[in-house]
Amino acid sequence: MIIQRLLTSAAFAVAAVPALAETVTIDLWTIDRPGEYHYVMAEEFMKANPDIIVNVRSVQFEDMVNDLARAVSTGDAPDVTYIDNPEVALFASRGLLLDMKPMIDKSSVIKPDQIYPGPLASVTYEGGIYGIPRGANTIALYYNADMYKAAGLDPDNPPKTWDELYAAAKALTKPEENIYGLAFSAVGTEEGTFQFLPWLQMAGGDFNNVNTPGAVTALNLWKQFIDEGLASPDTLIRGQWDSTGTFNAGSAAMSISGPWELPRMSEEAKFDYRVALLPAPSADAPRASALGEGDNVILANTDQPEAAFKFVEYMYSQMPRVWNEFGYMPAYPVDVADPKHAAAYAVFVESMKYARNRGPHAEWPKISKAVQDAIQSTLTGQAPAEQALADAQAKIDGVLGQ
Amino acid sequence: MLAKNLWTRWVLLAVALVMVGFYLFPVYWMYITALKTNTETFQNPPTFWPHDPQFRFAEVWVKYGLDSYIKNSAIIAAGTVALVVILGTGCAYALARVRSVWMDLVLFTVLMMQVLPSSLMITPIFVAYNQVGMMDWPRTGVVLAQAAKVLPLYIVLVRAAFTQIPKELEEAALVDGNSRMGAFLFIAVPLARNGIMVTAILIFMQSLGEYVYARSLITDRALQPATVGLQFLTGPNASDWSGIMTYSAIYVTPILILFVALQRKIVSGLTSGALK
Amino acid sequence: MLRFDRVFRDGGGFDTLLVMLALGYLVVFSAFPLIYNVVMSFQEVDLFSLASFDRPFVGWDNYSEVMGERVFTPIFWNTVQFVGLSVFFQLTIGFGLALFFQQDFPGATWLRGLFLAGWILPGLVVGAVWGWILAGDFGVLNYVLQSLGLIEGKIFWLSDPSVSLYSGIIANIWLGIPFNMILLSVGLAAIPADVYEAAELDGASRLHRFLTITLPLMRAQLGAVISLGVIFTLQQFDLFAALTRGGPSNASNVLQYWAWQLSFEEYRIGQGSVVSVLMILFVVIVAFVYVRSTRNEHAG
Repeated sequence: MIIQRLLTSAAFAVAAVPALAETVTIDLWTIDRPGEYHYVMAEEFMKANPDIIVNVRSVQFEDMVNDLARAVSTGDAPDVTYIDNPEVALFASRGLLLDMKPMIDKSSVIKPDQIYPGPLASVTYEGGIYGIPRGANTIALYYNADMYKAAGLDPDNPPKTWDELYAAAKALTKPEENIYGLAFSAVGTEEGTFQFLPWLQMAGGDFNNVNTPGAVTALNLWKQFIDEGLASPDTLIRGQWDSTGTFNAGSAAMSISGPWELPRMSEEAKFDYRVALLPAPSADAPRASALGEGDNVILANTDQPEAAFKFVEYMYSQMPRVWNEFGYMPAYPVDVADPKHAAAYAVFVESMKYARNRGPHAEWPKISKAVQDAIQSTLTGQAPAEQALADAQAKIDGVLGQ
Repeated sequence: MLAKNLWTRWVLLAVALVMVGFYLFPVYWMYITALKTNTETFQNPPTFWPHDPQFRFAEVWVKYGLDSYIKNSAIIAAGTVALVVILGTGCAYALARVRSVWMDLVLFTVLMMQVLPSSLMITPIFVAYNQVGMMDWPRTGVVLAQAAKVLPLYIVLVRAAFTQIPKELEEAALVDGNSRMGAFLFIAVPLARNGIMVTAILIFMQSLGEYVYARSLITDRALQPATVGLQFLTGPNASDWSGIMTYSAIYVTPILILFVALQRKIVSGLTSGALK
Repeated sequence: MLRFDRVFRDGGGFDTLLVMLALGYLVVFSAFPLIYNVVMSFQEVDLFSLASFDRPFVGWDNYSEVMGERVFTPIFWNTVQFVGLSVFFQLTIGFGLALFFQQDFPGATWLRGLFLAGWILPGLVVGAVWGWILAGDFGVLNYVLQSLGLIEGKIFWLSDPSVSLYSGIIANIWLGIPFNMILLSVGLAAIPADVYEAAELDGASRLHRFLTITLPLMRAQLGAVISLGVIFTLQQFDLFAALTRGGPSNASNVLQYWAWQLSFEEYRIGQGSVVSVLMILFVVIVAFVYVRSTRNEHAG
């Protein structure tokens, strides 16, 4: 009896101590810089939870996967980190991420069925949930309404199909004024895949099925844009940010990119710019859009899973703020009071419904590389689209083990 | 040479100015882009002077905390140069003076060590540092790795400087009762000082630009050099180009001025050196 | 003790000690990463087994896989061109400038110092600036060439597969000029003026003096600058990352960038290490030629 009581009180004491005196520290890696999302979140969270200290470290976006892998293998990994959404499967497949599903089931904050299907798919791996989206983004068609009017096009009726997009690009291209009809990115990096995948998906393919007639049509259309001078040949080596830079400077009449462009565009573009959904192959074709942004994940070997999860929960609960304060799309439907760039925001919210995940697959970088190679060899004229896509399919089949 | 008339000298100056102007165009473009808005950077046709120049020097200095970055850059570069001069000068001297198969082999090995870019060397270095606990002194770690990277360069160049010194001068010193070490330190090194200094300065400047090691080994912002800080102005979906160029202008300009002032002394001092 | 002291101070021991100091350092800090790369080229390595030596050996599999890549041959020849053209033009332009600034005119040394700007700009900045200069649409180079009437249409320096490699070479030559020029200037300045004066009295022409005096006396410097130029050029990585990323479609890809892409973009680290090993072999040849050339060096 006495022993039992002693034990109980001891257990009570042990349980009480962490909350009272002991502070726990969690390490957080992010691609943000001081003053941005993760720094703000960590600051607020620490204020609300004085017993938890969050150490934030910035890592370059393109170094994140390599640094994380190296840290994991040398035993130096953080507790919580940002991972770009196509990479979650890579880390989850190695058992390096904590499956949050058991904790989520008990959580009163995180409700997975709220989350848009695209972002949710990106963190789901073999039934487990390995990350929580911190936000999302997607792409759409920006267009210069002033140029539309000047070219005799109706700015209230932007292109809805690929044919209309081609016709509009043709009408808007003015070589003598150094204006291209369209700016997009076919660069040989993940960005190129990011831009091409929705075209492929709308035409009935996906990452595991790239050699489809629809994909050939899409790739040939891209080639046509460049060959006919409707888009700059530098599209092949330029990322989205720099491509859209030419749109802002008035050197392109339309641009395919995401919401991250809006702060710069609203400051620097001296014309009436508007946003429309990404055109589809035909009016009745299924829609698709890219899915960007990353996830907050917890490393499997963390020694502070509770504190880490609490932090992830906190960030999830702040979703209504992400658009106005940090420029991401919310990953689940929220009411944003007085959204910035309201008209554009409405289009991107609509577009989010069609946003599809890249993968998921543990070997995503290899699949993505095969897609980039197909894009680049077609657009440079080294191989016809059919052959380039067949090559890509062969490589992807090898990765998928088919 | 002195007999050259005034007219030729001014023509030469004019030609030199054209060549310098031509060569420095990319540097001009860095400064001019610092003053442009991001959109003007992508304007076609390009503008050679910004419409609406914006001076962001103070903003960038404060926002990104350049003082700490620049201090760390200087520490890393100075540490690297010191280590390289101490380790490399003697080796370069021996390689210049002694001719044997063994010395050939050493020279060969030294050159070999420099083959791979830092981006391919860093992983093993990281792993090794981790094993021996070097990660607790990250700046020192960068200095050690960077010194290894530039040491071959230093040895090869300083060796070339030593070979140009007549052996007779040293032999005379040896006859006068100097030891080998005395001849090395008091005869050879002073005679090769210009080569040593120029190489040291080149290495200093190259080490200021070191990025790959620093970004992987130094995780604490307070210890990071300017090149690592610079990288944070680019992001996956946004790059502040005018900010990047402003940042870079801030830290390149003083070095450039310093070097122009310094090299005047160094290289022009050569013609009045002991060898004349 | 006394004998050791004597050997150390006066004999070969002194040289050995000096050499060993530097060599030992290099073995610890540079040889280890190189060997690590060689070992990995025979292993199956992935992102997560980078830190342990306990990885399955696969013999020459990685080698046959890399050699079997369709892009291997073009990338190899790109590298040869990149190195050959870069070093040739860096050296000739650098040497030309060094000779020019050797002349006596107002501001000569001061202006020469400005060339060092190319050496101190951060890689990220050099890449970005050249990217804008070479851009097809808003690039300055096209603008200037068109304004001068030298070209009709635009040249897409970076995205046209037939020129993108040369764009990288142009930018790399720009980067290498200061290094070549400043070192050759130092070498030139070390040539005693009386040698020239004697030759001038003998009535030797400028060209003749250059060929018979300058070149032989600069032999050590030239050998050093060329071999280092080759090595620097092989290490050039930032430019590719900033300008073309080896594209479009590998048209401007070179071994060093490909090695990195394989290892850290596709996570085929074993294969990436194979490419590193091939580069080591490349440098073995260069180093061998250089060491041979030092045999006949003029030593004062």
